[in-house]
Amino acid sequence: MYAIAIHGGAGAVPRATLSPERERAYRAGLEAALDGGSAVLERGGSSLDAVTAAVRILEDDPLFNAGRGAALTREGAAELDAAIMDGRQQRAGAVASVRHVKNPVELARRVMEKSRHVLLVGPGAEEFALEEGFALMPNLYFRTPERISQLEHEQRGERVSDLVPPGQGTVGAVARDRDGNLAAATSTGGMTNKRPGRVGDSPIIGAGTYAKNGVCAVSATGHGEYFIRAVAAHHVCAAVEYRGLTLELAMRELLNDILRGLGGDGGLIGVDRDGRIVMEFSTEGMYRGARDSSGRSEIAIY
Amino acid sequence: MSRPNLLAITAAALLATASAHAAPPPPAPQPTIALAIHGGAGVIERARMTPEREASYRAGLAAALDAGYAVLERGGSSLDAVAAAVRTMEDDPQFNAGRGAVLNHDGICELDAAIMDGTGPRAGAVAGVHHVKNPIDLARLVMDRSPHVLLAGAGAEEFALAQGVVLVPESYFLTPGRVRELEEEKRAAAAGQEPTAPLPLRPPASAAAPKGIGTVGALALDRAGHLAAATSTGGLTNKLYGRVGDTPIIGAGTYADESCAVSGTGQGEFYIRQVVAYDICAMMHYQHLSLERAVDTMIHQKLKRTGGEGGVIALDGDGNYAMDFNSPGMHRGVRDSRGHREIAMYRDTN
Repeated sequence: MYAIAIHGGAGAVPRATLSPERERAYRAGLEAALDGGSAVLERGGSSLDAVTAAVRILEDDPLFNAGRGAALTREGAAELDAAIMDGRQQRAGAVASVRHVKNPVELARRVMEKSRHVLLVGPGAEEFALEEGFALMPNLYFRTPERISQLEHEQRGERVSDLVPPGQGTVGAVARDRDGNLAAATSTGGMTNKRPGRVGDSPIIGAGTYAKNGVCAVSATGHGEYFIRAVAAHHVCAAVEYRGLTLELAMRELLNDILRGLGGDGGLIGVDRDGRIVMEFSTEGMYRGARDSSGRSEIAIY
Repeated sequence: MSRPNLLAITAAALLATASAHAAPPPPAPQPTIALAIHGGAGVIERARMTPEREASYRAGLAAALDAGYAVLERGGSSLDAVAAAVRTMEDDPQFNAGRGAVLNHDGICELDAAIMDGTGPRAGAVAGVHHVKNPIDLARLVMDRSPHVLLAGAGAEEFALAQGVVLVPESYFLTPGRVRELEEEKRAAAAGQEPTAPLPLRPPASAAAPKGIGTVGALALDRAGHLAAATSTGGLTNKLYGRVGDTPIIGAGTYADESCAVSGTGQGEFYIRQVVAYDICAMMHYQHLSLERAVDTMIHQKLKRTGGEGGVIALDGDGNYAMDFNSPGMHRGVRDSRGHREIAMYRDTN
């Protein structure tokens, strides 16, 4: 039994503002990521490889707020955060505020596998990338005309865009492979118009990303500051592990009782020990997809 | 008590004793106030300590404990109390935070800090700052004056300047002892312990003692019953440029909610992976473990199983506290309105 779920951000995605062409493009992007991830699982690959593959595809797709097409800081630069966690030994790697790494999720994985650290930030993270043989990209590579105009609108106090709303287009993947190993990965450009140096929940193990074999793997998207304060991803897994809640109930409790109480919203995807996929959100919509070896296959937005 | 270093006292036990001896109805009870601090865990052993050094550590801990407690005593908030205690240790060069922090691979101090208000909950943190005298105060500003929780590197210092914080040169933080420590660590690394080598899941039995002892932290319970937690550090000696440990990660090295507060010190990577501070509170809330049991489970089972070394201090909403570690020692202190005041460093309770 294998299973994989992905998300491409949660937020207000009113049907009216999303043109049919646009919706098709988003669906195609999600489909491609799901294909990439499930192909790994189908041929017996690890959940870690599957989530890396799925997130890499979403990072390369300019529609999503991660890698190319990431939301821009108030100074107009892309600053990227990513994390990956291996549920097997609860190893983890993360990077924050990198500006020149094409696929931050791959650098996060390298931090996990080749450094003695979990989280590297800023120029130090890029120094490590160079030592590891990564080719750095100019920051220009990440900036798309749409994100530039989104930033301009935001700075003028307007909110006009049919892209995923600012700060809510984070991408992520969770998977369970045939051996029962769980993994989670998340990647983001953060909030549009954010202050340089701001780090959200994505690279914070326990907040935006968490995986523990025998319990669950979770990736979150939404208003990051609230997810950090609530230790969201670990909260969900702790509710499953310690209280015996289903993943579904654990996520609903977090979104509806805890985060809503704090004033935050967003969404979560997760997979439990048995490969059951759950995708929950407290926003109008969440770009998401799920596929498993029993034949489930879906892409949804609303 | 099963373990001599566990210093947990239950409110129930105290109340029971009080009612057994006191016949007249007591006046309206003053709510408990409590402050706990740590100054790092690691190889802290009597045999390696000179009497002068020990006295100096004790004095440093006492100064921080009293600075924080004084805030609580005059009716101040737990948030102000933990900030005062941590600031005192940041300014004290013998602890690995603020002045006297350990040096990274490039020979400079990169400082991390976090503060969390258990009511709200609200939190603020900074990572990788080089020029901020008291990172804990900047973490507090992030919490109070920005919409964000964590700011890192140059962006955090830009925010500091915008808030009117005066920056200090990198040289302010450097102490001769830490420079020497880095040189020793680099020699050891050159002799085979590559700093970029992956962290073994279980360190070999012969592994050298972890350096960088001295992360500082504080927890407080104020008269209003509010908990707060704060932690500040220079991280690991010889760490990679840009490395962030557990200290500024809410849930890993620092956490507080309405009934549980934790500050950790130890091998940060393990603390991040196991979400140590929050997991202790989750075990308390969900498995209904006492604070003492939850801390014991984390330190002596969960953390130890993965090879993680270090300790935590923890405080609950009734003023019960636990200070435990799986390293040889931990600088620690506690003071409360029930009359406890103690400072300890070794495995036995002094």
